[in-house]
Amino acid sequence: MAYLFLSPWILGATLLTIGPMVASLYLSFTDYDLFSAPTWVGFDNYATLFTGDERFWHAAGVTARYVLISVPLKLGVALAVAMLLNRPRKGVGLYRSAFYAPSLLGASVSVALVWRAMFSTDGTVDRVLAAVGLDVGGWVDRPELALLTLVALAVWQFGAPMVIFLAGLKQVPRELHEAAAIDGAGPVRRFAGVTLPLLTPVILFNLVLETIHAFQAFTGAFVVSSGRGGPSDSTLLYTLYLYQRGFTDFRMGYASAMAWVLLVVVAVLTALVFRSARRWVFYAGEDR
Amino acid sequence: MGRVARRATSGVLVAVSMGVAALAGCGGDSADGPVTLRFVWWGNEERAKVTRAAVDEFQRRNPDVKVETEYSGYDPYFQKLSTQVAGGASPDLLQLDRPTLGEYARRNVLADLDQYAGKSLRLDRISPNLLAGGKVDGKQYAVAAGQTTQALVLDPALFQAAGVNAPTEPGQSWTWTEFADAMNKIGAAGAVAGTTDFGWAIDWFEVWLRQHGKQLYTADGKLGFDAADLERYWTMVGKLRPTKGVTAPEVTTKQDGGLQNSGLITKQAASDVGYDSALTGYFATYGQSLKTAPLPSDNAAEPGMAALPPVSFAVGQRSKHKDAAVKLLDFLLNDPEAGKILGAARGVPPNEDIRAQVCGAATGGNKLVCDHQAAQKDKMGPAFGAWPTGSSAIKRDFQRTYDDVIFDRVSVGDAARRVVQDAQQSLGS
Repeated sequence: MAYLFLSPWILGATLLTIGPMVASLYLSFTDYDLFSAPTWVGFDNYATLFTGDERFWHAAGVTARYVLISVPLKLGVALAVAMLLNRPRKGVGLYRSAFYAPSLLGASVSVALVWRAMFSTDGTVDRVLAAVGLDVGGWVDRPELALLTLVALAVWQFGAPMVIFLAGLKQVPRELHEAAAIDGAGPVRRFAGVTLPLLTPVILFNLVLETIHAFQAFTGAFVVSSGRGGPSDSTLLYTLYLYQRGFTDFRMGYASAMAWVLLVVVAVLTALVFRSARRWVFYAGEDR
Repeated sequence: MGRVARRATSGVLVAVSMGVAALAGCGGDSADGPVTLRFVWWGNEERAKVTRAAVDEFQRRNPDVKVETEYSGYDPYFQKLSTQVAGGASPDLLQLDRPTLGEYARRNVLADLDQYAGKSLRLDRISPNLLAGGKVDGKQYAVAAGQTTQALVLDPALFQAAGVNAPTEPGQSWTWTEFADAMNKIGAAGAVAGTTDFGWAIDWFEVWLRQHGKQLYTADGKLGFDAADLERYWTMVGKLRPTKGVTAPEVTTKQDGGLQNSGLITKQAASDVGYDSALTGYFATYGQSLKTAPLPSDNAAEPGMAALPPVSFAVGQRSKHKDAAVKLLDFLLNDPEAGKILGAARGVPPNEDIRAQVCGAATGGNKLVCDHQAAQKDKMGPAFGAWPTGSSAIKRDFQRTYDDVIFDRVSVGDAARRVVQDAQQSLGS
């Protein structure tokens, strides 16, 4: 009986997740062009990836830069806004909804299109900057700035971690703050000594989630660069390169190998973050 | 508990009924009754407008055939097409170009049209030169949707403002030096760049190679040029960049052959290098003052231009309604009414009777195309031949590497060597 109730989930998981994953693991050891039957090539795809593909390393570099810039920025902004919205104030519910809204639009194509229009030559951002004397032109057309538009797109969607931070902030006992204030601690000291340590479990959660998220970013880069990863490969995120290999170059076996490399890298990084958590995450009630 | 169970049951029921509906939908291969065709192409809005009008006429005459149409820009078109074809949802009638025709044909995506030729598909009024462009490994997998040649499309007002003349009259021509001087003069006049930087597209490099007695690909599908050729070519184009003879990198990087990013249309350049099959779109978007000139050549005996079928129609191999698709194809190619509606939206009509008829009565954008081909008649050589498998990857690598060149991320020499190296890999695989 239990399995009957579980069956929708089991069916979904096997048919839509586990099945395709097993298939892609198999395909990653084949030469497969989507049209004819795959032929077994062993570890060839993986060997080419690591030794004979400059763009693979380039895409990995772009992705690393993207993750390293966007995740801390996003978490920082989310925490800052959560602190602001944590104060009792009139209409705070409205503000919370307003700041959360971009996350709902999140990975949508339409937002990415708006983003491209805003950051292109003669777009909103260009005009505003030109008005204050900064004539940088369109961000999306310049290799050194294009990735930053994607970072901005990611940071703008800080709503989800913000809500989680907000919940975490509500858990910080008021009496600890009062005690610290009586001992003469200012707002900065109270933040560093009380709020932050008690928030570390939430920070860990958000960090892991957002890192995984950032590695999987695709839509923004695809739309902003019209699927090319340009200008000059500056927005070639790993997932975008994977897509190009699979669906433009018809090398699905190679793309599958790339997907598995990404999975392993993300898994290892997540494990490392969890391992480091022992040093910096503080669970209230624990002995220190 | 009871409520949960009920909800689960109804969920299963919904799932089952949806599955049944999907299965029923797959079975529809009946010869009788209305058939629905899907016809897809890339191109500008003007092309879409006339193509839809021609399709409407076809549907009016064939009430039992319904045609769904889709169009988009070049890059999104192939992104979508490859995904659809891979997913088994290939369109019935589709548009391909030189780099993609061979790849799709060799992957068994396209129907061999030889079995229809001379019967439901009339090809006798299409020149052998154009028909050859639709052949892969000796089989007719596609038919030219039009005859096209290379052109420099320009705004004469901007040329005159800079005190520059272009060879827009029949029989006139210019050398690369004359061309470069003209572009630099327009750039120096300050309003716009001389022309949209054309170094990004391998198509125009092909013309330059021809002028130097070489070719992009040899007849047996090998690379026909070396890194030194490309270095020379990109260096020549590069000399025009600091003087605004060609557009700035920020403009160039956006080029995709479409109208909306073109330097001329966005008023950042006085001219564009392109195929004349896009001219009706230019005419509708930019205005009626446009003129055309041949591409420059230092070699009077070999202008490097050709009568090409860069846009062809093909029928999907997995189409369930191949007969109807061939019927639509034949209509688009050979019907006088369709020819009149389509005009020169894909170059001049492939069928020579219809071409004479269309060009005889042409106005507006169609006249621009007809006049250009008439004026360049003695410069247009026979078609260059199909491009080998791997050439669409080479086309993309070429543009990507040119981005690195214009943004000064790599030296021209290194870039040229990289293109050749990548190309040899793409051809080998």
